[in-house]
Amino acid sequence: MLTGVGGEGTLTTQVMIARAANIEGYYVRGVQLHGLAQRGGVMPSFVRFGSEKELSSPATMQANANLILAFEPLEAVRAIYYARKEKTIFAINDYPLVPVYANISNTPYPIMSEIIKRIMPFAKVIHIFSASRLSKEKLRNTIFGNIILVGAVSGMGLLPLKEDSLREAIKVTVPIEMENNFKAFELGLRLGRERIVSKG
Amino acid sequence: MDVLEEPGKKVVFLGNEAIVRGGLEAGVGFVAAYPGTPSSEIPITFSVIAKKMGLYFEYSTNEKVAFEAATGAAWSGVRAMTAQKHFGLNVAADSIAPVALMGVKAGFVVMVADDPSGWSSTQSEQDTRYFARMFKMPMLEPSNPQECLDFTKLAFDLSEEFQIPVFLRTTTKVSHSIGTVKLGQIRKPEVRGKFQKDSDRYFNLRPHLQVLHERLNKKLEQIEKKYDRKLNMVFPKEGKMGIITSGVSFEYAKEALLELGLNLPIAKIGLTHPISKSFVCDFIKDKEVVLVLEELEPILEDFVTQMAKKANPNLVVHGKDLLPKSDEYNLEKVITAFEKTFERKLGIDFNDHQRKVDSALMGLPSRKPVLCPGCPHRSTFYAVKKVFGDEAIYAGDIGCYALGMFEPFNIHDFVVSMGAGIGVSHGIGIVSDQDVVAFVGDSTLFHAAMPALLNCRFNNVGKSPLIVVLDNGITAMTGLQPHPGSGFTGTGEKVEPVKIEDVVKGFQVKVRVCSAFSQKQLIQALQELKNIESIKVLISKGDCRLLTRRQFHAKGLVMPTFQISQEKCMKCGICTNNFACPAIIKAIMDAGEKSIYSIDPKICLGCAVCMQICPGRAIQIAKQEA
Repeated sequence: MLTGVGGEGTLTTQVMIARAANIEGYYVRGVQLHGLAQRGGVMPSFVRFGSEKELSSPATMQANANLILAFEPLEAVRAIYYARKEKTIFAINDYPLVPVYANISNTPYPIMSEIIKRIMPFAKVIHIFSASRLSKEKLRNTIFGNIILVGAVSGMGLLPLKEDSLREAIKVTVPIEMENNFKAFELGLRLGRERIVSKG
Repeated sequence: MDVLEEPGKKVVFLGNEAIVRGGLEAGVGFVAAYPGTPSSEIPITFSVIAKKMGLYFEYSTNEKVAFEAATGAAWSGVRAMTAQKHFGLNVAADSIAPVALMGVKAGFVVMVADDPSGWSSTQSEQDTRYFARMFKMPMLEPSNPQECLDFTKLAFDLSEEFQIPVFLRTTTKVSHSIGTVKLGQIRKPEVRGKFQKDSDRYFNLRPHLQVLHERLNKKLEQIEKKYDRKLNMVFPKEGKMGIITSGVSFEYAKEALLELGLNLPIAKIGLTHPISKSFVCDFIKDKEVVLVLEELEPILEDFVTQMAKKANPNLVVHGKDLLPKSDEYNLEKVITAFEKTFERKLGIDFNDHQRKVDSALMGLPSRKPVLCPGCPHRSTFYAVKKVFGDEAIYAGDIGCYALGMFEPFNIHDFVVSMGAGIGVSHGIGIVSDQDVVAFVGDSTLFHAAMPALLNCRFNNVGKSPLIVVLDNGITAMTGLQPHPGSGFTGTGEKVEPVKIEDVVKGFQVKVRVCSAFSQKQLIQALQELKNIESIKVLISKGDCRLLTRRQFHAKGLVMPTFQISQEKCMKCGICTNNFACPAIIKAIMDAGEKSIYSIDPKICLGCAVCMQICPGRAIQIAKQEA
């Protein structure tokens, strides 16, 4: 499952992962929950791949996601409907986008430790990456944070797709900014690999 | 573009992209549409590829006009297609009824996307399958992207064979789902034709009307028999229990059976009008229990119940007794219904998980959709609220500006349908003395609001509404499609734009034009028009900022951005709480400290309106980064 805020490129990332799975010959299903949500709203989507016999529903069932890629921390919390302790791995980009309603309704945006506390009972493990920050620092724009996050989970071995399939999918999905997206993917891979080393 | 990939290739498509590919493989030569989500990707994709593929594509002014144009093509022997959302079909309906009766020459597919759950709609959860019954038209319902492609081709074949327009119906979770699709050969479109006079076909006054009607009844009987096994499928298994389903519910059914470890037969109905009597009777004759799975209304279920009276009077039919008529289905709902019907437990308590989720989400700020940074509507709403206050009645309409129904503006007291804001306001103005402001977008005005405006002018009595036209130059909500005022067509040809002020003046209605990005101009015009009793129009003109950004990028220019001077900022919060631009950030501070306000230059689209509303004059243009 992928989630984030409209405008962060979550749909592009969904299509990219779906294409990588297609390159490897998997049967692919998924769905984008958008519409009105496009205007700065929540943007959840699903990618499911495997054999045609075992999957047909476009969306994942409650508490049944293997991996949740959250491009925005608050939206990671809202994704817990699809998560459970025994199964679900979270990868979160720690770059908050404060919704305007936080100001209007005087409901403050939660701090990171609060976010983790709320997700914990629904997560096998939570990995936090400063993907947008790294993107800003190395590529001068936060927009590549989503590809960095995909690279990071790939580098950690959490996404069962070959790196080359993902590179090929990046090439066809975002041809305009290909160079920077490739750089972002490599940055993410390194981030993920380093994370494993530091853990081990 | 993926939709033009080589035959034999396997690709991942959105349901809507697969429908476009199906049209190309069927050799469609004429496509006309007014954009409406969840069908929007169909015209968007055609607009990009039409020229290359040598087929005709247009964005029409509304769905009725699109349907009529496509009818003209199909009557002249060119394969034609329209695509719309469910409410779009309501608009087209007036012309569909007679064309169904008269029939067509070349294949004509009328695609319609329903939106149970209202992911992309503000109006209702109508079930468009009733239209197929009312107009006596065949209706095909694919379950996944592969079938979107296959059924589109079959729909063209069926349409041409029986000379009848055909509905292709999806729901949100079919149109917006992705799936693996195997591609076939694209057929070169035939785009030239000739209309032949034929009174036997087109003369629809009585007594010939009844001749046409009987002809249509015969066609449906033949279609029911001939296309039964092409579109309906049985997945046979042993057992006295079974499932009858169609559309996306079939996808849930298959996976729910796997989850529960059940092995039951499924009858999948792809032709949901006319439903094959023999197909249903064959399936139910040896069953004891069937569960009918369909979103929204119990149309299949009622049919099965009726068939069972003769074919199997003891059959127990479940459906809407276990599942809701509102909202869309999902795996959870289907599994729950299976557990009750087939007495097998998965052992998951969906409600328990939901309770835990609800409690973990308590107290978090919501993220409702908002007007984009730099949106001209935000500026107009801000000025209107200032002049008309909370007491005035605000009639809404369909478009981005419907987001004005949320805080902080709360400036849409109701939204009915395309163009209805003006129509309803007229009635309120006649029976009450309240101030009424009716908002309407530019594209919506061209689509369906001109007759309502003309009606106000014609029956100019009582307190007429102030009509505020939010003219942002484009159909923005569905993804920046052109309309008659945009200056270019659906395939990018330049045309002379229609000026809305000329239209209004043509109706001899008082009109003022001002810049949506100037609070001064807006407030002056609004105050002046407020005191006029008769019909009046304010055109608040300001391009959609996303369009402006696109134009800036195309020229290699950088948009200006704004910044807040911390010395001058009075920390009043008007820019975040009352104006609510997503680019303005209020930093989270420790208790007791005052917040710091700033503008995120990555989000700001430089409309300059925040600068005008800041009481401390603390906002100014930011220096460009080198």
